[in-house]
Amino acid sequence: MAAILEKDIKAWLLEVVKADELNKKDVKKTGIHFEAIVPTSKIRDVAKEFLNQGYFLESLTAVDFAECFEAVYHFNHWKELRRGCVKILVTKEENKAPSISSIYKSANWFEREIYDMFGITFIDHPNLKRILLPESSTIHPLLKSFKGEPAGSDVEQCLKLINEDKEGFEILYPQSVTHHQKDYYLNLGPQHPSTHGVLRILLHLAGERVLDGEPILGYSHRHHEKMMEIQSYLACWPNMGRLDYVGAMSYNFAYAILIEKAMGIAPASPRVEYIRVLTTELNRITSHLLWMGTFLLDLGAFTPFFYGFDDREKILDILEMATGERLTYDYFRFGGLDKDIPAEMIPAIKEFIPHFKKRLKDYDALITKNIIFKKRTRNLGYLTKENALAYGVTGPCLRATGVPMDLRRHEPYSIYPELDFEIVTATDGDAYSRYLVRMKEIEESLKIIQQVIEKMPEGATILGKLPKNVPKGEYYTAVEAARGSFGMYLVSDGTLNPYRLKLRTPSFSNLNSIIEILPGCLVSDVVAVLGSIDIVLPEIDR
Amino acid sequence: MTLGPFWQEVVKIVLWGTFAVLFVSVNALFLVWMERRVSAKIQLRRGPIHVGPQGLLQTIADAVKLISKELVFPSQVDKLVYYVAPLLVFAPVLSAFIILPLGPGIILRDLNIGFLLIFSLTNISFIGIFIAGWSSNNKYALLGSMRAVAQNISYEIPLLLSTMGVVMIAGSMKMTEIVTAQSGLWFVLTQPLAFLIFFCASLAEANRAPFDIPEAESELVAGFHTEYSGMRFALFFLGEYTAIFISSAIAATLFLGGWHGPFLESLPAVAGPFWLILKTYALVFVVMWVRWTFPRLRSDQLMAFAWKILIPFALLNVLSTALVLSLCK
Repeated sequence: MAAILEKDIKAWLLEVVKADELNKKDVKKTGIHFEAIVPTSKIRDVAKEFLNQGYFLESLTAVDFAECFEAVYHFNHWKELRRGCVKILVTKEENKAPSISSIYKSANWFEREIYDMFGITFIDHPNLKRILLPESSTIHPLLKSFKGEPAGSDVEQCLKLINEDKEGFEILYPQSVTHHQKDYYLNLGPQHPSTHGVLRILLHLAGERVLDGEPILGYSHRHHEKMMEIQSYLACWPNMGRLDYVGAMSYNFAYAILIEKAMGIAPASPRVEYIRVLTTELNRITSHLLWMGTFLLDLGAFTPFFYGFDDREKILDILEMATGERLTYDYFRFGGLDKDIPAEMIPAIKEFIPHFKKRLKDYDALITKNIIFKKRTRNLGYLTKENALAYGVTGPCLRATGVPMDLRRHEPYSIYPELDFEIVTATDGDAYSRYLVRMKEIEESLKIIQQVIEKMPEGATILGKLPKNVPKGEYYTAVEAARGSFGMYLVSDGTLNPYRLKLRTPSFSNLNSIIEILPGCLVSDVVAVLGSIDIVLPEIDR
Repeated sequence: MTLGPFWQEVVKIVLWGTFAVLFVSVNALFLVWMERRVSAKIQLRRGPIHVGPQGLLQTIADAVKLISKELVFPSQVDKLVYYVAPLLVFAPVLSAFIILPLGPGIILRDLNIGFLLIFSLTNISFIGIFIAGWSSNNKYALLGSMRAVAQNISYEIPLLLSTMGVVMIAGSMKMTEIVTAQSGLWFVLTQPLAFLIFFCASLAEANRAPFDIPEAESELVAGFHTEYSGMRFALFFLGEYTAIFISSAIAATLFLGGWHGPFLESLPAVAGPFWLILKTYALVFVVMWVRWTFPRLRSDQLMAFAWKILIPFALLNVLSTALVLSLCK
């Protein structure tokens, strides 16, 4: 572990990212290139240096150890894979850490989440309040001392809690209940046709013009992370399908890779990898199709929604053949798959591809060249490259700003290095570029699928008996999900269940960037921007 | 015993009014069914097919449901205004039937201000929309009614300007005379630009997509009628579909030759209404086709479209028509 010098942080950083240092950590196993514990007082300087070197903050979380808290910062570089893990120790008596939200904008919500879950206070944080739990709650659920309170088990208790939350909300957001003369506040959501779930955006409006807006999360919070801490590794599989229910296969993929790397096992045969990539790419297409439909629905066009769903339905039928599920997939297993794909699946895909290619041309005519669609989305929701990186935006939203970062190439996993596909980018960073990137990605995914079904080898799809526990250590894995980079940070103590499993979900950071976009929009633009970012609430709220 | 001229007139009005109300209700039910089937065809669906032949009775079942629903009065609304608003939206649209010439001689009142009366009457329904949003005491509804007012003011101008060319050629505002003037050539051929402008503006007047910003359901939940339920909501709905029918009928009368068509001489009482209604439904179909194809415009783009494109072109059309007419004389 590299020691940190008093003053020369830059030299230290350059030292630790050197090639020979990089290999000190077992990258293949842990997914982390370099690791350091820095003094709490130094973390701001370290973060500044990382920013100067062009790193972005991939994930920020905390772990509750018996002696102290550990706040864990994962930095990564968009040009090449350099995942650095920096930790600070926070004593339980003091329970305070300096905030880096003024350096990395994405840290704002990450720190709020840590405050919410662990009760660690971040000094100089501009807006430190709960983010996922209700405003009135008093618990910090990720503390190891928290064993769960079955509150809200009867109707009266529920009503009481709802009332308390309303009061708590009014205390935290006093502006939303006071009367104003010229400007006013509008709660877009939690129940609203265009928030894609239960998201609330507190809009500060003057007429129809947005002065600023603040997303308020947590309405579909189920606490997957705590759930996983109390169940065995195998029992965590169903959770993976319920985070991002639209593109669940990538989440299966991440978990499979994470545990396989940690246990040091390889999939049963190459066939497993091929089927994994095949199902994941099919799932990516369904996710983008659903996005396309709902995005156009937000803009007031109904028809593309039905076209998109028609095609999506066909893919779901194909995926159902293999998995038996249509939405919340639970298909992968450690070192293998739940079961092999049936014989009729490959012909069904071969039949589907030409039909779908024709359909893509229809979309082009109906949407891409539609003048009203162009008028509504061009120059809307503009996100600069710098802002996108500062907010930790990943996936199509990042690639629409011109950053060619796709983890399938950036951090090659599975058989992606052997496949021929392009990283789609656009340059404008507006809603229209995001649309173009996603539509092009559908074509690239089709390309991958075609290659995979040509090369598909035979082989076993299930491994024999495996140990039930994961060796002690810390592991990080990230995969390119439909919405961006999905990272999993596992701290294992060698027992039967994860000690801590942080889920770094892409939409969480992507949605954070909306704060930058909203001012100046009209109400109609708010839903368009929200749609263009492509959020899935259960994944944000976890 | 013969009735005096006054009573004859009263009977005529009552009969015509009853006919109009009946026609409007049945027509709206049919239009809703048609909209569902058209949209289903466009969207690879089947639409209502189970209730009655071809699902024709589906909308009647829905209407019965809406009528039998409880009328909810939200606690924060301005009661009187909230109550009046749906009536104010629906009633003026009905009045358009006063001057609609269904066939040669089949018209209640052939006024010499003709369609000007219709436009001024249908504008009252915008007051209804505005007060519906205002009295609901809901921010979404208020935003919706604000948009409705802005939209109405903007689109009234190109709507009227586009008809001026027709009036100049026909030399009258009387509906019957305008139709008679088209016995040779329909005005859509001599005034194509005016027809396009009129069509766009009447889409906006009827709050139809892509100009349906006052109720933009993906943005404003349901816009001005967010707080309305049951039959009150149905009145807005009825008003909207009747407005589509009326504006299409006026467009058909002004530009597509009204009642003109084959077999008019032999069977004027049947052929006249038949051709007019056929033309109207053809236009209504286009209106639906547009709705299910295009995304919605943003409110500022909508205003820009009216003021920067429609109005200059409408003025240009008036100018060029006047020039051509004066040169021909």
